[in-house]
Amino acid sequence: MFKNHLKIAWRNLWKKKDYGLLNIFGLSIGITCACIILLWVEDELNYDTYISKQDQIYYLPTNQKYDGEWRTFFEATPGPLAENLKNEVPGIVRAARTKSDNLLFQVGDHSFTKNGRYVDPDFLEMFDFHFLEGGKAVDFHSTDIILISESLAKNLFGESQAAHNKTVRINNQSTYTIAGIYKDLPKNVTYTYDWVAPFEIFAQGKAWIKEYGSNFADTFVELSPQANFDEVNRKVKELLPAKTEDDEIYAFLHPLKDWHLRSTFEGGINVGGQIVYVKLFSLIALVILLVACINFMNLATARSEKRAGEVGVRKVLGSSRQGLLSQFMTEALLASFFASFLGILLIKLVLPYFNTIIGKSLTISFFDPKHWMVFLAIVLICGIVAGLYPAVYLSSFKPVSVLKGTIKTSGGAKAIRKGLVAAQFVVSIVFIISTLIVYQQVQHVKSRNLGYDKDNVVRIPVNGDIIKNLNPIEEDMIATGNIENIGVSNSTILSGGNNTSGLSWQGGVNTEGVLVSIRQISTNFFNTMGMQLVEGRGFSDNPAQDSTNIIVSESFAKLMGPGSAIGKTVENDYPVIGVVKDYLYDDMYGSGDPVIFFNDPSEARYLYVKTKNGVPTERALASVEGVLKTHNPAFPFEYEFVDDAYEAKFNKERLIGNLSKVFALIAIAISCLGLFGLSAFTTDQRRKEIGVRKVLGSSISGIVGLLSKDFLKLVVLAFILAVPIAWYLMKNWLEGFAYRISINIWVFIIAGFAAVTIALLTISIQAFNAATSNPVKSLRTE
Amino acid sequence: MMITITNLKKSFRTEEVETLALNNVNLKVEDGEFVAIMGPSGCGKSTLLNIIGMLDNPTDGSYNFAGHEVGGLKESQRTQLRKGNLGFVFQSFNLIDELTVYENVELPLIYLKMGKSERKEKVMKVLERMKIAHREKHFPQQLSGGQQQRVAISRAVVTNPKLILADEPTGNLDSKNGIEVMNLLTELNQEGTTIVMVTHSDRDSHYAHRVVNLFDGQIVTESQNRAIGAMI
Repeated sequence: MFKNHLKIAWRNLWKKKDYGLLNIFGLSIGITCACIILLWVEDELNYDTYISKQDQIYYLPTNQKYDGEWRTFFEATPGPLAENLKNEVPGIVRAARTKSDNLLFQVGDHSFTKNGRYVDPDFLEMFDFHFLEGGKAVDFHSTDIILISESLAKNLFGESQAAHNKTVRINNQSTYTIAGIYKDLPKNVTYTYDWVAPFEIFAQGKAWIKEYGSNFADTFVELSPQANFDEVNRKVKELLPAKTEDDEIYAFLHPLKDWHLRSTFEGGINVGGQIVYVKLFSLIALVILLVACINFMNLATARSEKRAGEVGVRKVLGSSRQGLLSQFMTEALLASFFASFLGILLIKLVLPYFNTIIGKSLTISFFDPKHWMVFLAIVLICGIVAGLYPAVYLSSFKPVSVLKGTIKTSGGAKAIRKGLVAAQFVVSIVFIISTLIVYQQVQHVKSRNLGYDKDNVVRIPVNGDIIKNLNPIEEDMIATGNIENIGVSNSTILSGGNNTSGLSWQGGVNTEGVLVSIRQISTNFFNTMGMQLVEGRGFSDNPAQDSTNIIVSESFAKLMGPGSAIGKTVENDYPVIGVVKDYLYDDMYGSGDPVIFFNDPSEARYLYVKTKNGVPTERALASVEGVLKTHNPAFPFEYEFVDDAYEAKFNKERLIGNLSKVFALIAIAISCLGLFGLSAFTTDQRRKEIGVRKVLGSSISGIVGLLSKDFLKLVVLAFILAVPIAWYLMKNWLEGFAYRISINIWVFIIAGFAAVTIALLTISIQAFNAATSNPVKSLRTE
Repeated sequence: MMITITNLKKSFRTEEVETLALNNVNLKVEDGEFVAIMGPSGCGKSTLLNIIGMLDNPTDGSYNFAGHEVGGLKESQRTQLRKGNLGFVFQSFNLIDELTVYENVELPLIYLKMGKSERKEKVMKVLERMKIAHREKHFPQQLSGGQQQRVAISRAVVTNPKLILADEPTGNLDSKNGIEVMNLLTELNQEGTTIVMVTHSDRDSHYAHRVVNLFDGQIVTESQNRAIGAMI
């Protein structure tokens, strides 16, 4: 019996190749899209799973209170915390401080800067290290060893084994022995490290590390398997206030499973994070799959009148309703199988592009049983969702009415079909509107006045002799004629960097709670970044002259009370000599925060170079490289454009924007395929009517209008339904941003217009064909 | 007695009107009989045939088929009773386009859950008898009308039914093919199969033992034909 069903299913698909292909193609687009989203979701859900003690490892963020509000900080635990936790909190069996850093590795002519971590010995026990060479039984308290990843070893020595026990020069000042080589970490890891070195190395000569008060380290702890999380977490929270006698700071446990997906905190409380997008996209995958299944349902029920005869005959010949149900389900499952198969091919084709959009390297594996299971599940779900309704509907036909020819597609089925088409367009229009609004919002923020000019500025990490030779470097660079200005700072222009609180100033009120950022810069930094002084003067060329003078940002000047800030002092020792316009850092949606600038290039970590307008990038970079090679020969020339780094701050928004664009396109494509099929079908059904109308004198446009009208009504209805849904969704999305657009009515008008136009084009091809065909032909075939 | 119909009524209801298609019909058909039902369009012939064929339920009255009361049975029960007992021949053949000649004829046997080799034997036997075996792999559209109706008859008789119901079996055929089909039905009847046939054609009605005339849902006359096949 099943064989018979399969045979019929195949012949039906084959005989109606056009409809069959339309069905399968539409479904396969949906399946492709859903599968790719699921691959992404799988990747997101599998972060940090390389660590075998997943349930026992925790990170420690700190909550600190400023201006009466709790804020959560990462990389902000004090030095002694780890050791105290291990000794004083029962249930914590291991604890490790780590400090992330960039090191310059030199072997012969090769040199690379790589990011890694200084770590306490416990770290090696907590995180999984698969050593290819050495590594085990290394004394991790010595200050001249380092463990490196396989790929770093290959970079340095060509092959990983060769690196073992070799020495490598670090930062052009120390020499370490490579005591072990470990397998590279997988890609989906929250806290990464290309190398690990003993924490002692970092701690050398830094007495403050032993004290509470400086919050700088990433601290990890391991709980014993029996430990009670709540109990331990309570004790962890108590420790920092007890040690610091400050109840406005505490550390807490952040479970490994939340590191990637739930690491957004508001008011000191975890409010989710990336998980929102995982959920959202899973939902979208489902919706797109459903939209694709709808096509199948609609075409299947639309063709019911043609299939009714067969249903009648089969029932007369003794088929039960179950038999027919299973026959139609077989057809749907077969179509779904073909669609899934085509889907796999499409995934292979599309995945590289998708990977570039989202910046990952997802792959579909034919050897992963999980992937096969999901594939099978999709075949089944699509087959059942797409096939069940048509099967129930078709098998319900009464043979006597079929054979009498009185069967007419019931009003109910027609209404459902229309409803489903409208639903598809609701989804499409919501996607179009969302795409437009996301795009507007991203553009809105990107074109925001930042308080500085990010264009034509190169950022170079400060290392070696750059600070020592800052003056000759500046002179030589300007002399090339390609460079306008250079300046240095102790933190990047884009991010927060050092900060402090508890400052006092003349006339200051509530000075305790305000978090103030501290920047140490060189004289020309403001000129280089195009930042504007609104009052007073800039730093003089002689650092000694302005060693205690400070420049503050406008919002800090406001904090200092009414009247000009010039001449007022901070902490009684630091007079303000200038006020600079507020600029944005960290949160591009927020507003400018209080900043104090010191004239002190000695602590600088970044060199900013502003190239001259109109000078080709290549030439400008060559000039910079040439000068640096002369004055800082030991280090490779590494740089980043500030506008690129700025763009990277919007990666998530751009990802959302790109994905919503892709989803919008896919939803529209699938909906149009469905509409195309359905309009082809109705046109076909009304061929005789069209013939009669033409004989009676109807014009072509009259007939196109007649055929298009019904479908257009649906699209308009879909638009009316989509507007409030999209408005509600996007309003919620926008509320997550402090600096945002207001939703403009034009967005809806454009989306509606686009949907109607696309739908009209889709339908009118069919309608026009029917309207221009010779009526005699269609009348004769009756 | 094959069929005993007593005081049978069938009415159709739309939103506004109720139409009485059959009104107090009484009819008996003996085993091995060949009965033709005649009458003008809309007199209820096909409705009666559909009820006899268990495709439809009567509104009132009783229909007894070979000792089973059919009126009031559920669709699935009717399907069970129909399987193997009844064969249908339609004016428009009603072959399934997606199936070959062989597969069309095989279908009722599949629904009877018959084994493959047994099916094959039966199908080939009947196809040969109907002189259509050489077309077994063809699809219905590739055949002439007469050939299609021979396939339909093959399908109707392949289960060896007690009763064949034919709804204007020659209506879509030319006279040569029509005569051929009527001869086939006669042959089957002579072998013991009961046949009830609805027809418009006087010629066809002469093949029957008995002609029942319906008018406005009621049997108005019944007449016996003496010489079977005498008109040919």
